[in-house]
Amino acid sequence: MERSETMANKKTFSLKGILHFLNSRKVAPYVFVSPFIVSFLVLYLYPMIQAIVMSFQQVLPGQTTFIGTHNYQRILNPTFFQALGNTATYVFFTVIILVMIPIVLSVFLNSKSLYFKNFFRASLFIPALTSVIVAGIIFRMMFGESENSFVNELLGLVGMEPVQWRYGAGTGMFLMVLLASWRWIGVNILYFLAGLQNVSEELYEAADIDGASAWQKFLFVTMPALKPVIIFVATITIINGFRMFEESFVFWENSSPGNIGLTIVGYIYREGIQQNDMGFGAAIGVVLMLIIFVVSMLQLKFFGAFKKED
Amino acid sequence: MGKNNKKWVSILLTALFAVITVIALTPVVSLIVASMRPSSELMRQGLSFFFDPATLDLGNYLAVFSEEGASYWQWYMNSLIVSGGLIVLSLFFSSMVGYALAMYNFKGSRVIFLLVLFVLMVPFEILMLPLYQMMIGLSLVDTYFAVMLPLIVAPVAVFFFRQYCLGLPKELMESARIDGCTEYGIFFKIMAPLMGPSFAAMAILQGLTSWNNFLWPLLVLRSNEMFTLPVGLATLLTPYGNNYELLFSGSVLTIVPIVILFLFFQRFFISGLTVGGVKG
Amino acid sequence: MKHWSIFGGAMLSLVYLAGCGGGSGDGSGSEGSEEGGEGEADEVEVIGEDSEDATELTFWTFNEQHIGIYEDAVERWNEEYEDRPIKLQAEVYPIEQMNNNLLLSLQSGSGAPDMADIEISYFANFLEGDVQLESMNEHVEPVLDDMVEERFDIYSKDDNYYGMPYHVGATVMYYNTDIMEEAGVDIDEIVTWDDYVEAGEQVVENTDSMMTTVEVDEHFSFWPLISQRGSDYFNDEGDLTLADDTNVDTLQFLSDMVNEDEVAEVTPGGFHHSEEYYGYMNDGGAASLMMPTWYMGRFIDYMPDLEGKMEIRPLPVWEEGGNRTAGMGGTGTVVTNQTEEPELAKEFLAYAKLSEEGNIALWQELGFDPPMYTVWDDEAMDEPNPYYDYFDDDIFDTLLDLNGEIEALNITPDLPDVQSEIHTNVLNSAVRQQNQDPEEALKQAEEAVRSGQTEE
Repeated sequence: MERSETMANKKTFSLKGILHFLNSRKVAPYVFVSPFIVSFLVLYLYPMIQAIVMSFQQVLPGQTTFIGTHNYQRILNPTFFQALGNTATYVFFTVIILVMIPIVLSVFLNSKSLYFKNFFRASLFIPALTSVIVAGIIFRMMFGESENSFVNELLGLVGMEPVQWRYGAGTGMFLMVLLASWRWIGVNILYFLAGLQNVSEELYEAADIDGASAWQKFLFVTMPALKPVIIFVATITIINGFRMFEESFVFWENSSPGNIGLTIVGYIYREGIQQNDMGFGAAIGVVLMLIIFVVSMLQLKFFGAFKKED
Repeated sequence: MGKNNKKWVSILLTALFAVITVIALTPVVSLIVASMRPSSELMRQGLSFFFDPATLDLGNYLAVFSEEGASYWQWYMNSLIVSGGLIVLSLFFSSMVGYALAMYNFKGSRVIFLLVLFVLMVPFEILMLPLYQMMIGLSLVDTYFAVMLPLIVAPVAVFFFRQYCLGLPKELMESARIDGCTEYGIFFKIMAPLMGPSFAAMAILQGLTSWNNFLWPLLVLRSNEMFTLPVGLATLLTPYGNNYELLFSGSVLTIVPIVILFLFFQRFFISGLTVGGVKG
Repeated sequence: MKHWSIFGGAMLSLVYLAGCGGGSGDGSGSEGSEEGGEGEADEVEVIGEDSEDATELTFWTFNEQHIGIYEDAVERWNEEYEDRPIKLQAEVYPIEQMNNNLLLSLQSGSGAPDMADIEISYFANFLEGDVQLESMNEHVEPVLDDMVEERFDIYSKDDNYYGMPYHVGATVMYYNTDIMEEAGVDIDEIVTWDDYVEAGEQVVENTDSMMTTVEVDEHFSFWPLISQRGSDYFNDEGDLTLADDTNVDTLQFLSDMVNEDEVAEVTPGGFHHSEEYYGYMNDGGAASLMMPTWYMGRFIDYMPDLEGKMEIRPLPVWEEGGNRTAGMGGTGTVVTNQTEEPELAKEFLAYAKLSEEGNIALWQELGFDPPMYTVWDDEAMDEPNPYYDYFDDDIFDTLLDLNGEIEALNITPDLPDVQSEIHTNVLNSAVRQQNQDPEEALKQAEEAVRSGQTEE
């Protein structure tokens, strides 16, 4: 509304008038948020509508035809369910690992009884600085299938057979989760460390007076205080998990044995880009959007995020 | 005795973290070691734990700095330009939006904030195909701008800046107005400097995101001389070429600027995160 | 550029507004988009740059080797047609990326090169909808009789020829004679696949090597064998026949070689183009390899230790009088409809690929068995080259002997889907994991392809 006013006023006022108008306390905030509004309209809303429209089309070079819900009917095939299964498994494990482990580590990193805290903090963050591509190159080397590759050699030392890491469903999932965990633990530790700075000393002192054990303090003082951070980290991890593509790409370049590494986004990429079936790709995207929306809502409800404040 | 006990706990804990750190750093160290060994051997055999340290040499690095590495440095430049440009642009725009959402009470501010949260949940990959078509329509394919565009107003950053600004004193704005500052002057001259740590935190996060971004640049970049590092490095993995010596040494060198960025801003990074971001 | 000036104007106003007390402040400026510099990348090769006002043609490929053939052709062209010189800019990309980019730029109507290489597995994607490639009929039809016609059919649609092949891709058996001798096998005694497996048992018994390797991430063990037996993924009408009896039997044969007879193993790295495999083979890991003739180049580049040890023989037969080879793989070079010089590009391509000189160069430069079979016994083919040094020098006697035993491949829009199933599921579960028998695996793949079929 105010924006159209701006336009109308432009004609009647001089440059100075316009600047004065723009400077008013009523208008300034709209100028400040305008980059977001523009980007929302152009980079989110329009593409989203476009994606929905495309999902009802068959897009071929020079021929675009509406084909009703055909793309959606095609989605219900075994490959999609496999991709969904892989993605869900990945989300499950990454959420568990990337919430639990960083909490524990950050509590220790925050405690007085640990030496060289800053060194450990920085070291654990270093993996986050590598790109997935670079990290993938390293992991592929370390988890090579030959008995001379790093991890298989270690297994050999304890008398185990070499493992063909990239060829089994279980080991393939393990590689992807491990890669993601390795890269993200340091980041999440920082989030939790930041959250821990906001826990007041007095609460711990009060707990001490009540004779609480370290475990009880962790459970009844630390955890509740960290709840907002946990919600934040869990939400981010879930969303990142559902959009996972690169962790799989670096191991198999989107063509994995038995589709063990196929994710939903990988499926979008395969169908939409590689097979040139944009309409179908868009339909998978729309379904993914719905899934993420539902899961995020359930998750927020589970943590009771809606009850508090706003 | 209690004191002694505590000391033992500390030592044990430190030892435990030493082990964790060794595990966490092993892949990075392996990469550095790998970059000093014959590369096709690595692709064939995998990285071996047992090797003769005498065989380490800097040949792969010489390759990067020779004629052979010409396109590698072009990718490096591209990544620096894209990431640098993006840090500047996204910090500028996102901080403005976040600041306004926190500091002004205006009609629609709540709706806009909810939109920010909503957008935060929409995976970029869903919009990828239409956005790609849009880039083609605007003839932006194969430009730096196309790579940066989706990240320029990053919802994460907007959210973060808003949270951070909530903790800033509003009284300052009033007194600045009395001094004759424009609304924009207040932001640029008075408030932005107060947001220092949050800028540092976001510079790291946005720099990291952009430096390591892969899927979108893979789509919109066409020509070899426009590739960013991750896209370029991925091209070295093709079985039809034989460029592995560049792959490992090149990978090591990609980590350098981001480590510098991190070390440079690290001091503010944690304090930035602490005050802002994760309050709720 | 228009939006940038608007942007600049907005920035100026902001600078004004950002001031305090009316004074002009220094607004924090921001960078716009920069144009890319002229990067000298080693993946880009400019051929024929010395000719001044030459017409520039761009060419995308995924295989650096392929450029060699055009280097030679540009040189000859520029000598022959001084009035119409050509400058060829060849760019090499990873195969996936090149195909994606080419598809998308053809679809969007801009950004495509003048010419491009399209690998056979991807070709069908480019024949959907309105074909965005130039028909080459005027150049192909006059010489078709001298060519192995099947290699042109695979790149055609509605009687239009779009892709110019590099080779016949006759699949042969490469034997490591050192290992064979050690095992006490005479390779010329291997006539049928039964003989082959028997010889394999001897190899495994008497040496440290396996008889051969089976690809599970790619199709070069499965597709040639079914093609050799006259079968395919599709029948001549283009209907999916993936799970027919011959194919099930063939897959069973591959699985048995690995799991029952234990004369073969799954290819290290999953396919015969992996670094792991090159290393393994170079060290004498397997005694033989079934690949098309164009694989010779890989031996020279990646398995230097086998020089002088490898011999090429026709494939063993399934039954007496059966085919002893199959045409496999392949890449069609196309001219896109975005070229500004369609006539020149087509004429040049024909010059490079359809002429006698061009076909001889395909052999001399790339070690490919050229599609024009009339040059196979040409004297020029006997000139020494690295391929003859590495292998024996009777390669073309073997090939001439096999001419006429090559079946066409049936290419349909569903081929990429079938390939994807073969590479990810079928071979993996039937040969590597053995959690499905061949029939189940092929049936399931057929099902998956059907459910994904787009309506035309």
